[in-house]
Parts: sequence; structure tokens; C-alpha cells
Amino acid sequence: MVDLVWFQLLSAVLFVIGLYGVMARRSAVLIIMSIELMLNAVNINLIAAASHMEGIGKFSDFDGQLIAIFIITVAAAEVGLALAIILRMFRNKSTVNVDEINLMKW
Amino acid sequence: MPVSGARMMEWAWLIPVFSFAAAPAVVIFGRFLPGKGSWISILAIAGGFLMFWLVLGSWMGAEAVGNCFTSENTQMLTCDYERSWFNAGVVGAVGSVSLNWGILIDPLTIAMLGLVTFVALMVQVYSLAYMKGDPRFGWYFAIHSLFAASMLTLVLADNFLLLYVAWELVGICSYLLIGFWHERRSAREAAKKAFIVTRIGDVGLLIGILLIWRDVGSFSMLDAFEAARTGAMSEGVVTASAILLFLGAMGKSAQVPFHVWLPDAMEGPTPVSALIHAATMVVAGVYLVARTFPLFEAYDADPLMVVAIVGLVTALGAATVALVATDLKRILAYSTISHLGLMMLSLGAFGYTAAIFHMMAHGFSKALLFLGAGSVLHSTEFQETGEMGGLRKVMPLTAIVFSIGALSLGGIPILAGFWSKDEILIAVNDHRNVTFIVLTLFTALLSALYMARAMFLVFFGQLKDQNSHVHDAPAAMAFPMVLLGVLALGFGLISFNWPGSYGGIGTFVFFEHSEKFHFEIWLGAVSIVLAIGAFVFAHRVYVEKSISLEGVRKRNSGILKVIENKYYFDEAYQWVIDRVVFVFSRFIAFFDRAIVNDIIVNGPADVTRKFGIALRVHVTGHVYSYTLAMAAGSVGLGLFVWLRVV
Repeated sequence: MVDLVWFQLLSAVLFVIGLYGVMARRSAVLIIMSIELMLNAVNINLIAAASHMEGIGKFSDFDGQLIAIFIITVAAAEVGLALAIILRMFRNKSTVNVDEINLMKW
Repeated sequence: MPVSGARMMEWAWLIPVFSFAAAPAVVIFGRFLPGKGSWISILAIAGGFLMFWLVLGSWMGAEAVGNCFTSENTQMLTCDYERSWFNAGVVGAVGSVSLNWGILIDPLTIAMLGLVTFVALMVQVYSLAYMKGDPRFGWYFAIHSLFAASMLTLVLADNFLLLYVAWELVGICSYLLIGFWHERRSAREAAKKAFIVTRIGDVGLLIGILLIWRDVGSFSMLDAFEAARTGAMSEGVVTASAILLFLGAMGKSAQVPFHVWLPDAMEGPTPVSALIHAATMVVAGVYLVARTFPLFEAYDADPLMVVAIVGLVTALGAATVALVATDLKRILAYSTISHLGLMMLSLGAFGYTAAIFHMMAHGFSKALLFLGAGSVLHSTEFQETGEMGGLRKVMPLTAIVFSIGALSLGGIPILAGFWSKDEILIAVNDHRNVTFIVLTLFTALLSALYMARAMFLVFFGQLKDQNSHVHDAPAAMAFPMVLLGVLALGFGLISFNWPGSYGGIGTFVFFEHSEKFHFEIWLGAVSIVLAIGAFVFAHRVYVEKSISLEGVRKRNSGILKVIENKYYFDEAYQWVIDRVVFVFSRFIAFFDRAIVNDIIVNGPADVTRKFGIALRVHVTGHVYSYTLAMAAGSVGLGLFVWLRVV
């Protein structure tokens, strides 16, 4: 069985890549994709922990899987909402470049 | 009369209601009616005059039952019809006040009703011709109606609150009428002056009324008089409230130092002056003192001394100014102030009857004089006596009626003014010391002199060429003048103790003890000699020109200058306004601007704005900077928790 620390390393790498994407990308669609990446990094972390930490302490292997499935559900809803916003954004400004969406700035 | 005795008195409230109803009717429908609706207004006041006779008749036939009783103060039949208006607070609870509007009918009220309705009626008929062609003809009559209605309400009111309301209504109507020709700056200024100066006195009146209310717990005048008589109100409160009420009376009745508004009130149309000087407005003050006389004479009657002194100073001071004034209306205005002073002096000397009698005699005579003066001004379009002279040749009727008025006020025997002035002299002689009587006689002499001067300067002597086109008054103006002339001539006769049921005005309007008409031989003789002497002297000076006053003028030029400048009252007021009021208001304005506006209101707003400007730099508008801040914040939070755990 692969050690837990490798999974955590993978998860951390994916999360940081996602974070970098959110910070560095200008396109709203790519930002959404980066956010998805971050969410799935967290999922990997949770699933690995659930399978490795069975019987330790008060946790059962279901706890981690439950939260992972919950996150997938929330992420699906979030993507739907975000894509709708991006669609409106594109209709109004003919661009999805977030640098040009600065109406609320002083 | 189908309506029996006391019934009619209960309906006396209709008298002002007629005119109150006429005012809006003329304003709203006047433009569609012939004569711009002026006849509505005249009909209303004529109805009031008719009602006055019915009320008088029913009062005479009434007995002391029901609402009527014999007053403890006047020993006269007094009727009080009170109607509840509303309750302030819970009925019967402590501190709640029931407010009434009711009418009080006693001889004083009836006398005033007669004076006000008659003079107002005469003036309105006169105005038909005088104001003909004025663009605001209907408006003039509407305000006239409102003015008369307010004064009648004031006279009928049985409680101080209603009286105060009517009092202020009279003030606003005088403001509107004095400033009737508001295109002229001077008329606007005069209207404002009249309103503001009388307002100063009104503050005293209001405080006085509230003071009485605090002690008596009701606004009813009869309750207040009862409390003063039985001692339920303490001496201090009675004296203070009497003097405060007198302050209001001083403002309205143009007593020194609040007299400054009356001469300027000449800016209004002349019939308005006739109304203000004879029947409404200025007599309201005298009426107030007469009405609240029980408060003045309770506890040794100290306030009456104040009334007497103010009255005497006013009478004497105004008489001297009237003697040197050259503007005809101004002479009459100062004459009014002087005679109002005499009425106050009379009240201050317990001469209640004399004061009311003089108010009526003066009212008829002065209305006559003003209508006569109006006729002169209407025809010649001059106000300066220097531009007139010899007018009796071209306007004989006006000359005759004006002369009757002048002789009456000058105190020539058998005319109305003689009898009433004589009563005042007797009252002053009986109740005040020798200084008072000497000065009063001197005032009477001056009063005869200035009346003679005005009469001779205007109607006698050489007719000027510029006035040759002048015509006499038209019928609508002549008719009221003749009626008033008859009254000024014969009104004094009602003072006599005629055989039969009527015992003279003394038994009608009197106070405390029935005062029969009486005549002090020496006083009467002195006043007759003074009055006739004054007229003869004035005739020598102004008509025959056999006596020259140039020497006297030269020797007393200093005093003359003071008097000609009206004792510098206007200048003194101006100085106070410039140096005290304006300086103080500038300070207030500075305080408002610097402290209230800049610091209290704008201060917090300014701080908020500065904070906003300082803090807005973090809103960059770049998504990645927000994300970076979020990530940094999360890492920071994580580090914080991790460090705490370790």
C-alpha cells in the first residue's frame, strides 16, 4: 500500500497549481477550472485519509468519503452558477477577461 | 320681535360669524359678482349692526336667571354662554384642560359691539367710493370683513384663549390692510413694523394669560376675576399678570414706547386708518384693560398706577408731536395716540366709565376725521397741510363734517368729545394727585390746539390755485361722513341722566358703583376756557395771522427739533436694531455656521470621507490581488492556529 504522505503530497501539489491558476489566469473560465482543480485536490486528500486512517481514533472510513461526495455535489452546483455568471458577463461585455470587469472599483 | 328676551343674546356669536363667512365668500366668488362682491361684505357687517340692536334689546329685557347673573365686579347683568370646544387630556383627570369658546355679554361688550359694527359699516360704505377702480377691490373688502369679524370675536370672547386668537387675527388683518398697496416699499415696511412692534406686546399678553391659567386652572375670564376677588390668586400673580396683559394692550393701543407703528400705519388706504384708529385694532388694548379691570384693581390696584403713568406720558408726548406735524394723516395719527393715552390714563384713575365713553366718542369723531381727511386726499392727492388751505370753498360738506370731528375732539362743549373728556378729567381729579390733573388739562389744551391747527390749515385761509379743480365727496363717501358727524355732534347727550328709566351712560357702562353723570363746575369751566381759548388762538395764528409764532419757534428751536423728530423714538429703535439685534444675530449666525454647521454636522461626514479616501486604495479591481489576499489570509490564519496549538 502506498504511503499516505504521497497522496498528501499529490494533493498539495494539485492545490497549489490550482491556486496559481486562480491568481495568474485572466480568463474567468480558466479561473473556474483552477478552482475545480483545488476542490479535487482536497477530495484526493480526504479519500486517501479515509482509506488510511480506518480504525484510528473516532473516525470511520465513511467520514472522509462522505465529505468528498458532498464537495463534488457543491462543486457541481457552483460550476453551474459560475458558468451562468460568466455567460451573462460575456453577453454584457463581450469578454470573459476579469481585468476588464472592474465596475465596482473606485 | 318674535324671539323672546334673553334668547337673542345667545345668538350674539352670529355677529362675527356673518363677517367671517363673508371674507372667503368675497375672495372666492367675488370676481363673478357685480361690484366684486363688496356688497356681501357690507351686508354681513350691516347684519352685525342689526344684531347689535337685538342683543341690546334682549339684554335690557333679560333677568338674572339661567346663564345671566349680576356680576360681583360690575354689579351689572352679565350673561355667559359657554360652549365646549375640546378637552386637552382626559376629562376630569388632573392636569387636563377643557377649552371653551363662549361669549360674554355685558354692557362693555354691547358698547363695543355697537362701536365696531357701526364704524366698520360706515367705513365699508365709504370705501365703495374711495377704493373704486383699485385692482384688488374685492380682496380689500374681504380683509375688511375679516378684520371686523376678528375684532367682534375679541369683544365677545369669554375666555382668554379665544381672546388671544382673535387678538392675533386682528394683528394679521391690520398687517394685510396697512400693507394693502404692497407695491410701495414704504407700505411693506409699515405693515411689517406694525406687526412686529405689536408682537412684542403680544408676548407679554400670552405670558400673562398662561400665568393666570396656571393659578386658576381655566382660561375663563369670569373664573379669573372670581379668583382675584376671593384671593385664590396671590397678589404677586395678579399684579404680574395684570402688568403683562397691559404690555399686550400697550402694543395694540400704541402706548409709549410701542407707539411707533401707528403713525407709519398711515401707509394703508385712508379708510383703513379710520377703521384701525376708531373701532378695531388700537381700541383692542383699551378694551383688554377694561375687560380685565378686576385683575388690575384687585389688591390695592398697583397695576393701575402703571397704566395711569404710561397713559399720561403717551397722551402728553403724542399731543406735542401732533402739534408740530405737517402731514394731515400724521397729525390725526398722533392725535389718536394721545387720545388712547387719555383712555389708558382714565382707566388708570378708576375712570372705567369715562374711558369707555371716551373710546366711543373718540371712535366716532376720529372715524369722521379720517373719512374727512380721506375725502381731502382723494380729491387733492396731497397729504401735506402746507399744500392745502381754504378747501372749505370747494368741498363744503367735507369741511363741515371735519370741523365737527375736530371740535368734538378739541373738547368744545355739547359735542361728544367734550363730555367724555370731562369725565376723564373728573376721574383723574378724584383718584390721582395734582400733577396728574395739571398735565391732563395741559394735554387737553394741546389736543384742542392741534385739532384747531389741522382744521384751520386745511379748510380755512387762502385757496391755492392747484386745488381749484377739487370737488366734494361723492354720495357713498358723504353719507357715512354725515351719519358719523351727527353722532360726533350728539353722542355726548347719552351721558346725561335723563329722566325716566335711562340713567345716562354711567348706569350702562360702569364699574363697582353706579356712576351718574356729573359735572365739576371748576373743572368744566377750566376745560371749556382752555378749549375755546385754544381754538381762538389757533384762529388768530393760522387764519388771521395776527399772531406770529416765529419768535417762539426761534427761541425754542432745540425743543422743537426734538419734538419734530418725534422724540427720536424711531432713531432709538433703529440704533437698538443696528447695534444690539444685528450684532447679536451676527454672533448667532457665526455660531450656527462655525459650530453647528462646520463642526457638528459636517465634522462626522468629513471624518468618514477622509477614512474612505484613505482606505479605498485596497480596492484594486484585480481579481488576482483579491485572491492573493485571500490565500495570504488563509495561510496566516492557519499559521496562527498551528502556532497556538504547538
